[in-house]
Amino acid sequence: MSPPPTIAQQLAAKQREISVAEFFERNRQILGFDNPQRALLTTVKEGVDNGLDACDEARILPDILVEISKETDDRLRVAVTDSGPGILRREIPNVFARLLYGSRFHSNRQARGQQGIGISAAVLYANLTTARPARVTSKVEEEEAAHVLELVIDTQKNQPRVVSEDVTLWDSPHGTRVELVLKARYVRGRQSPYEYLRGTAIVNPHARIVLVEPDGTRVTFERASTDLPPVAKETLPHPYGLELGELGYLLKASKRSGLAEFLTKDLQGVSARTARELLAAAGLTNSAPPASVSGDEQDRLLRALHDAPLIAPSPEGLSPIGSILIKRGLRNVLGELRPEFYCPPVSRPPKVHAGFPFMVEVGLVYGGGLPADQPVQILRFANRVPLLFQQGACAITNAISNLDWRRYGLDQKGGSGLPSGPALILVHVASTKVPFTNEAKEAVAEDPEIDKELTLALQAAARHLRTHISRKSRRDFASEKFAIIQRILPKLAEKTSHLVGKGVPDLTPVITRIMDIVNVETPFESDKNGVRAKVEVTNYTPRTRVLELFVEIPPDVFPLAVFEPVPDGVEAALGRAWWTLPKLGPNGRTALSFSFPPKTDVEANDLDWYVAGIDEAHILGAEPLPGDWDVRLPRTIVEAAEAAAADAAANGATGEEEVDYDAAEASAHTSEED
Amino acid sequence: MPPKRARTPAKKTDDEEPVKVRADALAPTLDLAEQIYGQLDRGEIPRMRLPLRTKQNISFQSREGVWKLGRAMGTRSARKLDGALMLLRTFYLVDFINEMAREGKTSTLRELYYISEAWEDAKFHGEDESNLLIEDLEVMCERLREDFRLHPEENGASVIGDLTIKERNRKGVVKKINCRDDVGDGGYSLPFNVEKEKIEFVSTNAKFLIAIECGGMVDRLAENGFDEQHDAILLHLKGQPARSTRRFLRRASEELKLPVVVFTDGDPWSFRIFASVAYGAIKTAHLSSYLATPSAEFLGVTASDIENYDLPHDKLSEQDIRALQAELTDPRFGTAEWRAEIELMLKNGKKAEQQSLAKYGLNYVTEHYLPEKLTEMGVL
Ligand SMILES: Nc1ncnc2c1ncn2[C@@H]1O[C@H](COP(=O)(O)OP(=O)(O)OP(=O)(O)O)[C@@H](O)[C@H]1O
Ligand SMILES: [Mg+2]
Repeated sequence: MSPPPTIAQQLAAKQREISVAEFFERNRQILGFDNPQRALLTTVKEGVDNGLDACDEARILPDILVEISKETDDRLRVAVTDSGPGILRREIPNVFARLLYGSRFHSNRQARGQQGIGISAAVLYANLTTARPARVTSKVEEEEAAHVLELVIDTQKNQPRVVSEDVTLWDSPHGTRVELVLKARYVRGRQSPYEYLRGTAIVNPHARIVLVEPDGTRVTFERASTDLPPVAKETLPHPYGLELGELGYLLKASKRSGLAEFLTKDLQGVSARTARELLAAAGLTNSAPPASVSGDEQDRLLRALHDAPLIAPSPEGLSPIGSILIKRGLRNVLGELRPEFYCPPVSRPPKVHAGFPFMVEVGLVYGGGLPADQPVQILRFANRVPLLFQQGACAITNAISNLDWRRYGLDQKGGSGLPSGPALILVHVASTKVPFTNEAKEAVAEDPEIDKELTLALQAAARHLRTHISRKSRRDFASEKFAIIQRILPKLAEKTSHLVGKGVPDLTPVITRIMDIVNVETPFESDKNGVRAKVEVTNYTPRTRVLELFVEIPPDVFPLAVFEPVPDGVEAALGRAWWTLPKLGPNGRTALSFSFPPKTDVEANDLDWYVAGIDEAHILGAEPLPGDWDVRLPRTIVEAAEAAAADAAANGATGEEEVDYDAAEASAHTSEED
Repeated sequence: MPPKRARTPAKKTDDEEPVKVRADALAPTLDLAEQIYGQLDRGEIPRMRLPLRTKQNISFQSREGVWKLGRAMGTRSARKLDGALMLLRTFYLVDFINEMAREGKTSTLRELYYISEAWEDAKFHGEDESNLLIEDLEVMCERLREDFRLHPEENGASVIGDLTIKERNRKGVVKKINCRDDVGDGGYSLPFNVEKEKIEFVSTNAKFLIAIECGGMVDRLAENGFDEQHDAILLHLKGQPARSTRRFLRRASEELKLPVVVFTDGDPWSFRIFASVAYGAIKTAHLSSYLATPSAEFLGVTASDIENYDLPHDKLSEQDIRALQAELTDPRFGTAEWRAEIELMLKNGKKAEQQSLAKYGLNYVTEHYLPEKLTEMGVL
């Protein structure tokens, strides 16, 4: 009666040799170790990526600790500790000291690692530059103690050599720590471990990441969500993404009795009928055992597969961040910049490139402390890993540059190139195989399908931005009017009354003429006693208004809301409530309030306010009721709205166009004398 | 809309009586308040209409020979923040000047600027702003800023020559002054108010008046005795001439029937000095018939003088060139002569100072240049 295999055992079962290694000793630049600064970043990145991958697979909330300290002038000690499942003793040497040894190469699911090179390359670099072994400590849940191994790579044979071995107590149930001494240089700023971890924290809001810098500074990126990302299911390889070598490998490894069975069961997307047809097309018979197919036949088979009408690759292997977590992650890390606008993140539906499913996600943040006079900041991610190098060569950057951002409210010289303005754009490309421009996985390569999706996602985000900017300019416009009616008009009335020796007239008609809007104020307060908010609706228009006010709240928190007065209608499933407001004469005001109990996960931005009975031009602080809400409005409201619209149409014609004296004077004021 | 003077001309008989502001001098300011009050009371958005004081809206009045405001109007409305602020400012200003009138005070423009510190939102952000608003009020009320009891600090253009005037001083005492014999080397300094109730022309033997841009040139002519030798009155413009200087020139030309010639540096800025003397300034086009001297003639230094007299010169700067180009679109320089002059200066790319004539010795300007030019102009 053996216990079911643990995660670590399952992983171990999949680890196998992929190819030879020695080549890389002389080509370390393509792996990201070409200078001491970059070597440090790559080492941190390989360690952290592996830790996060291991946690995600084992469904563990990641706790990652990165410690960097100084050994000598040009040597740093780097230790990455994760809270993952740990690695079995017998796998440790191969994982850390053997290149091209990994569990993901054929896994067909979205993961950070995909080549089986990463951490061993870092170990190799450390061995080569300081002659110091890697020190790996790892504990799996089912063992009492952790194993500590010191490892070097035999570069001739691509084989691990264990220098020393010990066991030690480990204070958490499972996890892995890898410690390397390498020739490296620490910097903060662009392309630094700090920047990399900050980016990682944004797209992995479920991870807690701590960085200890050489000077002892401790930076913590706190967890912003305890929801684990959706599991990326392992999927079968899709023929459209297969290359000849790989097909050969799959055929050789296949235990299926015939080719048709191989095609339908070891690959995805091939139906029994298609299998028959394409075998005929390739001139192959079903009876041949897969392992016996010759090189020439493999070639014909692959060509037939590529030509066949197959079912599209399944997106189940993907693990997108999702729009809620993109927003949380951005808020968590950029909070201190107090951006004025977080655009609702865009998550495009999965699509296929070269036989691999992929999807594009975009987040956009605007205003606040973001610098207004510089090119926008771009945060690029591939499979939740920040891309810090080769920005100019990346398909993501190109897609941004090719969009005409002037249409959406950002500056851009000539309508192409990087836009400038107080904005930050986050782009995530997730795929079971991201096409990179090089082995160091630094930039996404151009691909027509990916490019199309990038453009669509960016456009969707940009449209939100445009709406925000135009709303903002409406608010600025309104705040100018508030200044007029609150600060200037009363004094003007007082002065002129004093000069003519009469009483101050009632300013209501003038105020409503100047403003001509209904203002909805929705102040929102939250503290340990919960959330309280008061909604004030003021009719700054010259006519009496009959209005219906609507609120839309995330349905999961809707039942917790307490309204005063009680809404005239609710639709709890959609999180909607509405009120018919009392008749508001010019300058009239009404208020209602609501509250949520302590610790409710709700923010001002989560509530959307809508008003029916008025057109867009006359409402501020809320939106006109969208047409697709499909609610029956009370008759009084419909009639009042129709009357107001008819009036506006009748008065529109008499609107006199006049030259603004002060504007004309200001524009004429050039180099004129006195 | 020719501005009217509210003050009655001093009567010949009652010289000693102190001048009073006429009771209705400020009435139009209160009419403005009445107008805005009425709008507020009727629930209308307060607004005022006033003529645009821009280059596009001045037109030549051939009858008077000056450039005056055209008919284009603009609106200052409380619908916009800027407009609302200007309206509020207007009535702080109106209140202030009515209060001064009650207390018999006057104030300098600089003082007004500081007074406005207490006006909160409506305070002035610079003297330019207060000057423009006062001019607006002049236009709307058809009054002068002196009627509003506002005046600049004395910037006393000075006059040297055989001209006898009577000036009523601060204490109300009338003094007779000859601007050659009764004054020091600095000449007679013009007060900011040069109206009849303050200054009266008594007599002169001069044949013309020469208005000069730089002090050094005035001194040169005085030292060389040019005024006595040629029966001239010298007037120092002190750069861009103040209102009182322009008003004085206008009165001298009108009342003493003296030809006025203007002698400046040869550069685009000096052309503008001449234009404001002769045709009026754009910002004060509402006062042109009162301040401009249409008969004034430009003596030099002209672009051709620089060539003909082979004067030491500088190259035109970028700014100079832009100024000249702007002058080509300025209706005041719309005559064939001026266009030719400006285009010649642009073509040669040279400018020169008045004092560059000293190249030929200290007496050259009085013995050669001026006599030659004045003869050519038919003044001598
Ligand atoms: N911290 C860890 N915890 C558990 N398993 C790990 C850990 N680090 C590495 N592994 C295992 O070791 C394998 C090799 O890691 P390595 O970084 O060399 O390659 P990879 O992550 O698969 O691909 P890449 O070269 O793209 O990084 C991984 O596939 C994973 O199975
Ligand atoms: Mg890896």
